[in-house]
Amino acid sequence: MDATDQSYAENRGAEPAGQPRVGVYICRCGGNISDVVDAEHAAEICWHIPGVVVSKVHTFMCSDPGQQSIIDDIHGEKLDRIVVASCSPFLHELTFRGAAIRGNLNPYLYEHVNIREQCSWVHKHDPQGATAKAIALIGAAVGKVRQSRPLEKIRLNNRRRALVVGGGPAGMKAAADLAGTGLPVLLVERTGRLGGKLVSPQSLFPTGIGSTQILEKLESDVRSTGRVEVLLESEISRVKGFIGNFDVTIRGPLGPSGALTDVDVSVGVIVMATGFQPYVPHDGEFLFNRHPGVITTVDFQEALACAPEGKRLVVNGREIRRAAFIHCVGSRQIEGVHEPGPDGRLNKHCSRVCCTTVLNQAIQVRRRFADTRVYDIYQDIRAYGRGHERYYSEASRAGVIFLRYHGDERPLVSAAEDQSVHVSFKDYLSWGETIDLDVDLLVLAVGMTPGPCGRIVDQLKLPRGEDGFLQEIHPKLRPVEISVNGVLLAGTAQAPMNLQESLAAAGAAAVKARAMLVKEQVELNPYVARVNTQRCEGSGECIGQCEYDGALTMVEESPGVRRARVNPGLCIGCGACVAVCPNSAIDINGWRVEQYDAMVDGLVLQNQPA
Amino acid sequence: MQAQIMEKGYADALVIGGGIAGLQAALDIADQGYKVVIVEREASIGGRMISLSKVFPTMDCASCITTPKMSAAAHHENIEIMTFTEIDSIVAGADGHVVSVTRKPTYVNAEKCIGCRLCEYACDSELPDVFEQGLGATRAISVAFTNAIPQKAVLLADYCLSCGLCLRACPTDAIEFDQRPRQERITAGSVIVATGFQLNSLTVKPQYAAAQNANVISPLTLERLLAPHGPYGRVLRPSDGKIPDSVAFVLCAGSRDQTIGVPYCSRVCCMYSIKQAMLLAGSLPMADITIYYMDIRAFGKGYEQFYQMAKAMGIHFVRGKVARVDAAPHDDLLVHVEMTEEPVDCVRRQKHDLVVLSQGMIPQWNPAGVSPVHIGEDGFVATPDTADPCATNVPGIFVAGAAAGPKDIVDTIADAGAAAMLAGRYLADRAGKSRTPPSAAGRSIRLEMAV
Repeated sequence: MDATDQSYAENRGAEPAGQPRVGVYICRCGGNISDVVDAEHAAEICWHIPGVVVSKVHTFMCSDPGQQSIIDDIHGEKLDRIVVASCSPFLHELTFRGAAIRGNLNPYLYEHVNIREQCSWVHKHDPQGATAKAIALIGAAVGKVRQSRPLEKIRLNNRRRALVVGGGPAGMKAAADLAGTGLPVLLVERTGRLGGKLVSPQSLFPTGIGSTQILEKLESDVRSTGRVEVLLESEISRVKGFIGNFDVTIRGPLGPSGALTDVDVSVGVIVMATGFQPYVPHDGEFLFNRHPGVITTVDFQEALACAPEGKRLVVNGREIRRAAFIHCVGSRQIEGVHEPGPDGRLNKHCSRVCCTTVLNQAIQVRRRFADTRVYDIYQDIRAYGRGHERYYSEASRAGVIFLRYHGDERPLVSAAEDQSVHVSFKDYLSWGETIDLDVDLLVLAVGMTPGPCGRIVDQLKLPRGEDGFLQEIHPKLRPVEISVNGVLLAGTAQAPMNLQESLAAAGAAAVKARAMLVKEQVELNPYVARVNTQRCEGSGECIGQCEYDGALTMVEESPGVRRARVNPGLCIGCGACVAVCPNSAIDINGWRVEQYDAMVDGLVLQNQPA
Repeated sequence: MQAQIMEKGYADALVIGGGIAGLQAALDIADQGYKVVIVEREASIGGRMISLSKVFPTMDCASCITTPKMSAAAHHENIEIMTFTEIDSIVAGADGHVVSVTRKPTYVNAEKCIGCRLCEYACDSELPDVFEQGLGATRAISVAFTNAIPQKAVLLADYCLSCGLCLRACPTDAIEFDQRPRQERITAGSVIVATGFQLNSLTVKPQYAAAQNANVISPLTLERLLAPHGPYGRVLRPSDGKIPDSVAFVLCAGSRDQTIGVPYCSRVCCMYSIKQAMLLAGSLPMADITIYYMDIRAFGKGYEQFYQMAKAMGIHFVRGKVARVDAAPHDDLLVHVEMTEEPVDCVRRQKHDLVVLSQGMIPQWNPAGVSPVHIGEDGFVATPDTADPCATNVPGIFVAGAAAGPKDIVDTIADAGAAAMLAGRYLADRAGKSRTPPSAAGRSIRLEMAV
């Protein structure tokens, strides 16, 4: 479809007759705003802005009574334009659009002004200035909204199928959940089998259940519906499009078997379940890679699984009389103490799972090998989850010796003469005494680092947080969504999580994916470029400026008549095209040039000294 | 005399609890196209979260996050909300789970009440405001709080003087003194238990002397003191209204303690204490703030960085187990703590003028006698399936949030999504197996808002 003449004509026709009647609503945000901005004074001033026929203050505009007062005024005061001055539009723009809809007003005749983040919070020490700024911003919004025209959401067909990237537990769970509700799913995994890190056998906390058992259950869940198509040894080589309409090229098989082929698929949503990578210590970090007695918790997991039973643990042919764990290797890193990784980043985050992983391993050693002593050198024992604390007390009962170091005083590790490893550090469970330990095995509790995620991250411009993990929009409001609409996050691609948390996150991602896929059509905001076909002479300047593949094309409408055409699914409304059109024939819905002019006028008017 | 039970028909899902877990689960189920009923015990939805000040690690105001979800649920075409309603029993039936509820009398006709609060202003009977943790007063008839949903007055019969002032003040004749509890029955395709948590008593450890000292307070009290729209609009200590200048947080004051039957970690106290300390440091820049802890459990996304920021702000973190809190002159308090990081035998007595005890999280709801759902040895709803962390022992009954063990808001919201997904799967599976039409095909119910 295209958003040119038709919607243009509709908009004109629907424009309310007479002068717009604007209602201004100022939120106190329970004091967040009104402790600094003089909301009552601002409301008083707003009465004088041209077009304003209602100006009110409320403690919580977002509350039901707040929203209801807007609806009441739409009817009672015949309002046809609304301005709410409150928090960031990120939080509540949709709330008030919803109120407008309930009041039978086109939701795009509503403007949101942020007087919290942009006024009361940043100008805490200048209440007068903050109030003046709030008034100026409201003035601009009133100017803009008076020029607003009713808009309709863009509706496009929805390809009701999901792509899940990554066949670890989170990906399997998301795929099984979606397929379990009847939706077709494509599950793409780079390696030759499903299961991710569950493939290596281990006993999982907090229940002690074996990883194989969980894996079998997940696998049968994935296979049982017959609606999950699993592509192993495959990766995403190309992806473009938008919610409801992603075009994806999948390449495989990646292994030695057969020639690479590309398969094109189209899907409505993409679930990112690309997982994490365990931290790999630097060469020589705590003697890693330099001493046979230094290994990571990942290696130790396998070593434990295949260690022969006996009085003493044997690892790589070495008999272990004394073993020590050091926590937080590659996590909770501190500037000036730790070296940044190859990408220049420090892992400042806590990896969440390592504490209980260590306790789990330490208990297994003590239970199975009575003559192997175990030291646990930690900063804080973060046994936070349900059933985790039990591991801590059980480890104590099993005779694990706990020692506590400070993060900025890293234990010193050196090779001792008798093939053992010497660990020296200050122990803060014994009043800061220096402890020297000789151990046969030093296990480094390595944290989780962000996974590579593949090309999809760059192609869809998926944001990563400061910690390198994929970044959700908001941890509480939209915890499994990312700034690219239609892409969802499942599991440790987003942050360190244990298995259960990862499965829960996958379920949360799946439920959002399903909500998107149950609809026949997807709805997009109408803020896209719109061509005025009366004015467009086909100069093509706009095409050269457009950075979004396929968003703007030149169409030969009749012999010799070329005009620009917008693909509203791909256009992001950046406005680059608007600036270069020699005929002013292109504009952005909801952000037209007249609206900018009106905003500037509004700002200037409200900024006149009283 | 037992009144007649009113049959309310079928809903695809019934969510017990209108806190953040229940709201999120209800929204996620409703967005899949299913009809949902939320049953809430209190007069308003919003749960614990709506009463908090700001929430870690983003420091958003709690209202700003909760109100949109409350409002979205209240206006969702697939969601009905029953407030002031208790669950009596959940039993398996041919068409799903048969849920019997009691709708407690509010003595206000919800259809007539316009939430104008004139009754509240007229009422002469005052009582401590539960929403404000007893720091302020409310009236025997009132709307629960400013941003409550629904905005309907509720009359508490125990405090009513039967003077009739409200009756005369009400412009819509909504007051009905003759209301009685009503029994109703709903058949639900699936049930989500989102009953949340409560805190164990402030006095569970007598050595912390909360019973004797008004200035030994609950973290929920501090939340209200810190909330911008709180009872005083600033932080004042309870005994004398003094602005505190030395505040102590005692972590694990009701958890990780076998002597009080709460051996587990309550999971949120480290982080909310750090958050409260940071907010205090913002509002009382001259105050000394000390956090006494055993382990700082800053495990979530961005939490460790939040902890480091608090240290950089000058908040004192003291590793030590608080042995005792004693009264000192001028309503101050002496905190006895064994310091494990300093020279041998260092037991310090530190004076503070306000002490906050991190109470433990314990379950809010016990299904015994109401539903066949099992609980774990910690009293929280048991989740026997590692691969489905939100499934209970009963098919079709799922659990979300802190009902299945302490959880912070972020984890609760993820959990609620997972529970909603399981409900969706269960319902889709059932629809596939039977020829029972889904509720969308005409068996839906329309319950009135509130009572």
